[in-house]
Amino acid sequence: MRQFFPVEDLARDDRFVQTNMAERISDTRSAVDLQRTAKSRGASNRLTPDRHDASDAARSLMHGIMVGEIQALEGAGRTAHDFDAGDGSEGTIPFELKLDMARQAWDEARHVEISVKLSDWMGTEIGQFQENTVLFEAACSNDPVLRLAGVNRALEGLAIDVFTQMKEFGQLADDPFLEFCEDWMLADEVTHVKMGSDWLRRVTENDPDRRAKALDFQRVVDKLFSFGGARGESEESPIGLARRFRELAGFTDDEVDTIAGMDHDALEERKEMVRLARETAGV
Amino acid sequence: MTTHVTVMPEQFTLVAYDANRIAAIVRDLASLLGLSNPMAVEVDERTPLSKMSAVVAGTSSDHTITLRLQSGALEDTKHLTNFSEAHARRSLGQVMLRAKDRLRPDFADAPDDLALTNAQNTAWDVYCGGRLDRLGLDPIQQGYRYDFRNRFGFSDEVDCVFDQLWSADDLGWHDLPTVP
Repeated sequence: MRQFFPVEDLARDDRFVQTNMAERISDTRSAVDLQRTAKSRGASNRLTPDRHDASDAARSLMHGIMVGEIQALEGAGRTAHDFDAGDGSEGTIPFELKLDMARQAWDEARHVEISVKLSDWMGTEIGQFQENTVLFEAACSNDPVLRLAGVNRALEGLAIDVFTQMKEFGQLADDPFLEFCEDWMLADEVTHVKMGSDWLRRVTENDPDRRAKALDFQRVVDKLFSFGGARGESEESPIGLARRFRELAGFTDDEVDTIAGMDHDALEERKEMVRLARETAGV
Repeated sequence: MTTHVTVMPEQFTLVAYDANRIAAIVRDLASLLGLSNPMAVEVDERTPLSKMSAVVAGTSSDHTITLRLQSGALEDTKHLTNFSEAHARRSLGQVMLRAKDRLRPDFADAPDDLALTNAQNTAWDVYCGGRLDRLGLDPIQQGYRYDFRNRFGFSDEVDCVFDQLWSADDLGWHDLPTVP
């Protein structure tokens, strides 16, 4: 069977339309109030049921979760298949890591089914929103350690943040299914991040350069996954940073602080980009 | 008689929308809904959100109806920044139905759109959604149902109220549920 699958070849039916980060960033509209400063806190942008557009925003995010789960399934499945069993050097991975990736693929398949049912419950049609393929792109490295950093730590770390936000949404709305489902998926994601952290340490135990390269890659992916500050500790970000669950998943305080700093920078960069685009367009 | 429609901005820069196309949809919907008032459509292309509001200057057919929409209300969600005819027809149909309601004496007490509570807003949306469905504009009923449950509660009783609202055609402002 074929190994190392490019993002362009992902199998989708004609309901799905794919996009990438470059296209997303080229959209210079913004829901963020550009006049707002730290001293002039107004209404929060957090995704909570009291937002006037709460259901629309939750539907869009749920669709993003669903396609993200499909890509996470594909990424974990590829990592289980793409590398031969070995000691972790020269394009091999330990057999036990393969088993963990297979288990993760099984979890992600279940998450896809849950997300499809939740989307149906919330009134979203499959393919109603575009699919950003950035998640799978993080799983295309030739080095399995970079995949662990990009997918298990950065992507699944983002999943922890998103599921925590959606769980809180379901709790506040008193939605009988949403909170329950998100809580179960969140538990799996914490396990996936922990698996990634443990394997990253074990496989690079005697190779500090490789570990440093993987952690650099994780920072790049984390910044991409902050989606221009859509995730962050600021109330301007719709999705919060779930510090407690990240801690349970093996992130250190310093690592979470670094991610929070990148999220903040990404938000400010995005605001500056939007400001410039508006000036140029004269709107 | 053709309804007079203006669209602002006349040229879009941040999204690929066409003011003439929007005006044509508004004229078509006005004919469908039996609205002859002049229409002023204002689209805020700076935000991808999709909030909408209608302001009626008076209750006669001479008074201008102003429709304000954020760009997300007209957008193709599969191709962001691009226009969707179907989405635009549903959004404009919804906000025009509200404007039509406001011309009725029994909607005189309705607060301005931007002053409505989330629950009032959602209840009115559901009343409009059912009528859009019967006009053939294909709103997703389950989406409206989820919005309604989110505001009024997740229970069989709330679902019954939803079904009554969805199938209604001749309600006044005080017939809409307001308190969850």
